[in-house]
Amino acid sequence: MKLHQMSPEQLEERRRRGRSNLTWMLVVGTFLLVIAAPTMIVVFFGMLPTLVAYIIDRSSQKSATFCVGSINFIGVFPYVMDLWFDFNTIDAALNFVTDLFAMLVMYSAAAFGWLLFMTMPTVVASFVTVLQQRKVAQLRGEQKKLIEEWGGEVAALVEIERTEQREHHLEDGVSGMT
Amino acid sequence: MANALDEAVETAEPKSDVPSSPTEEGTVVLSPPAPPPDPAVATETPAPKPVPSGNGKGFVSTGIPIPNRNTAPADAANHPAATLKNRYLIFPSMPLTDLDTPSASAYSVEDRREPGRHLFALICTPGLPTRTRTMVDLRSQVVRGLIPLVDFGPVHWSPLGQSCQVVILERPLGGRLLDAFIDKPLKINEYDIGRRLFEPLAKALAELSALDLPHRAIRIDNLYYMDKDRTELVLGECVTAPPGYDQPQIYEPLDRAMAIPAGRGYGHTTDDIYALGVIGVFLLLGYNPAAKASNEELIIGKAELGTYQCLCGNERIPLPLIEPLRGMLSDDAKERWDTAAMEQWLSGQKKTPIQRRGVTKPKTPYKFAGRDHLTPRTIAFSFSKNVADASKAIKSGKLEMWLRQSLGQPETADSIAATTAMTKVHEGSPDGSDDILISKICMRLDPQAPIRYKGFAFMPDGFGAALALEYLRKGNFQIPGEILARDLLGYWFACQSPITPDLSAMDRSFIALRNFAKINEVGFGMERCLYELNRSLPCQSPLLQQSYVDHIDEMLPALDAASEHVDKRSRPIDNHVAAFIATHFKFDIQPHLKALSDSKEETSLIGMLSLFALMQWRLSKTPLYGLSSWLGGLLHPAIGTYHSRATRRAIEQEIPTLVRQGSLPELFDLIDNADRRTKDRADFQSAQLEFSHAEAEIQSIIGENIDQEKIALQTGERFTAMVGIVMGMVSITVIIFVKAM
Repeated sequence: MKLHQMSPEQLEERRRRGRSNLTWMLVVGTFLLVIAAPTMIVVFFGMLPTLVAYIIDRSSQKSATFCVGSINFIGVFPYVMDLWFDFNTIDAALNFVTDLFAMLVMYSAAAFGWLLFMTMPTVVASFVTVLQQRKVAQLRGEQKKLIEEWGGEVAALVEIERTEQREHHLEDGVSGMT
Repeated sequence: MANALDEAVETAEPKSDVPSSPTEEGTVVLSPPAPPPDPAVATETPAPKPVPSGNGKGFVSTGIPIPNRNTAPADAANHPAATLKNRYLIFPSMPLTDLDTPSASAYSVEDRREPGRHLFALICTPGLPTRTRTMVDLRSQVVRGLIPLVDFGPVHWSPLGQSCQVVILERPLGGRLLDAFIDKPLKINEYDIGRRLFEPLAKALAELSALDLPHRAIRIDNLYYMDKDRTELVLGECVTAPPGYDQPQIYEPLDRAMAIPAGRGYGHTTDDIYALGVIGVFLLLGYNPAAKASNEELIIGKAELGTYQCLCGNERIPLPLIEPLRGMLSDDAKERWDTAAMEQWLSGQKKTPIQRRGVTKPKTPYKFAGRDHLTPRTIAFSFSKNVADASKAIKSGKLEMWLRQSLGQPETADSIAATTAMTKVHEGSPDGSDDILISKICMRLDPQAPIRYKGFAFMPDGFGAALALEYLRKGNFQIPGEILARDLLGYWFACQSPITPDLSAMDRSFIALRNFAKINEVGFGMERCLYELNRSLPCQSPLLQQSYVDHIDEMLPALDAASEHVDKRSRPIDNHVAAFIATHFKFDIQPHLKALSDSKEETSLIGMLSLFALMQWRLSKTPLYGLSSWLGGLLHPAIGTYHSRATRRAIEQEIPTLVRQGSLPELFDLIDNADRRTKDRADFQSAQLEFSHAEAEIQSIIGENIDQEKIALQTGERFTAMVGIVMGMVSITVIIFVKAM
């Protein structure tokens, strides 16, 4: 549902839930920062492109965030592993985030994620469109066969639904005016 | 057929309510059935010729009404003998004019089983209702004193080009009674008349009365001698026309004489005794004492003076015959002699004389239509002839005043005032018309008289025949329909006092008929009334012009035969066929008639097919190839009631096979099979749902408010996100494994 379609009560509920989520995130983040501060430093700086993707991705699905985030995390994860298996200190973490090569790896992964998200959906959409067209053609063919076998009356239910929709639309239109 | 029908109508035409002159009455004849119709035959009586044996012309001077007979022989080459029941050969080329009746022509007959038998055949007028039930009774019963009826049935009569009812009778070897007086005056003296006339005929009437069969055709020209020696006098036939139809007015009691010939009613044996009394007067005097009076004068004379006084008042009647004739000619049917009284008289016993009750004389006569009336009966009679003047007279209040002050009948005056007031309430509507007012006033003035409306005068027990003749003449039911719609019959019964059980039963049957007439559906209406009232009337449908269908068993074979010469695009059923079937078919066909009357063509066709299929199933197992083919060709809309095209094609392909079998039940089962129809309906509903689901799916893809590209792109984005997540998970797993190793 779009924002402009929401009632004031719904909008207020949405805002309240948003504030609640932010509170929880701050609590969990603070907790993780206390118990795993090096990991959190690397993840925060390494995953900045994902944060950007999250901010600029206005879709409800957040597909770009997931795509960029997943690939971005592939670039960040080896350094997190290094922290966990070698020196899990804040200095080590700061070394990673100040290492240009490491950051290049992390941000390149994110860039690959972006590249993937920018190219692949169009290709997939073309496939989907073709599949849908084939599906429509197949359904139309089935309907044609039904009409050949049973005559035009077989579409009576559909016609009734359409008529009802039209009536409903007209009634709505009139009631909207009044 | 049309010519024959016209002929029949022409035949009936001269039988008007009141012929204009007395000479007309005796000269009404049957149009000859032989084509081409000779108009000269149906004209007035020609000048007398010397000794024309048996045709009655020799008795013109006596004033006794005797019909003229002159049937032209048909060409033997073109008109071969017709066969009845594969036994009786009837020869159109050999007419027996001496034995003609006013409504039937006589022809020679040969009995194949008994070649020497003396028989003759009467060919009935097509369309004229005959007394078939009486024929059935007389064929199975021997009535002494009545000409024996041997057999009857329909035959195809080539001179008319259509089927007619034919009645086979034993031939009277002594000819008519009139033939015995060819060379001497038409007179029987007072000593012989009992033995020669009354005795044999009274016995015949007693036997007919025991069978509850009034003869209703007793007239001087309908008496025959069965033997050559002319000793055995018998009554002639009475079955070729409705009761009283062939009777000149003088032979009918006053009430029935006022009706049109077809509406004189079934009557009673007392009506026969009245006619016998009239014959007695003729033979006793040797002439008709009322020959100079017109029919109207005769009716008024009988009403004012009484029949006996009217006929014999100025004549010298032998003393021993005064009382019997007074008894036989009594105008009160309850007072009139019955067969027991006749027997008592003939056996020499004395009977209590009928008390003379003179008509109540008014203080002053009532003047109407240029005549001084002394009785309400004659006023009613005159009113029915002059409706416009009668309406003015009634509305002026003079009649009411005359009834109160001059005749002393305040009850009648009150009822007339009430009727007039009620009519005023309905002014402007059909119930308030002058015709209705006069008809009701006439019933109030003369309750025993027939119902008279727009010149259509009939006794209630003669409504059926009158209705049939009215339809035959005019081709519509306008006036009888108005009579039923305005409930004039109910009014007549309400005027009767006392109401006998017979009258109550008749009233109830007319209420049922009125309900039939009101229903505007196939199988009901006036056609239904026609066949309910005339159960022996053949079906009048134009489809059956060349057939004679007076029994339900004959309906399907006749339609089967008709299929050869009718337009196959028309339906094999019309209002007449449906009404005839509804009247005669003893099984419940209400659902069929309901379907038949449906406004949807396919329902109506299925109703028709189901009705015929039921009839074939119940009545006849013989194949009906023509009718099956006819119906099969009409069934396309009925086949269209199936939704499935495949089922329709299968049915259409199967129809010719069933048509070749001539089986209507099979055809009906094919067209309206319950299992097939249920399956078709269920499958159709499934197909509708399937179509609907497909449409919903299509709309979800390419609907009006759906951006197909955007959805495809979103799908692509979701897919890419999934690919990214999977790649991430796989990569992390690999990294963990690498680090761990």
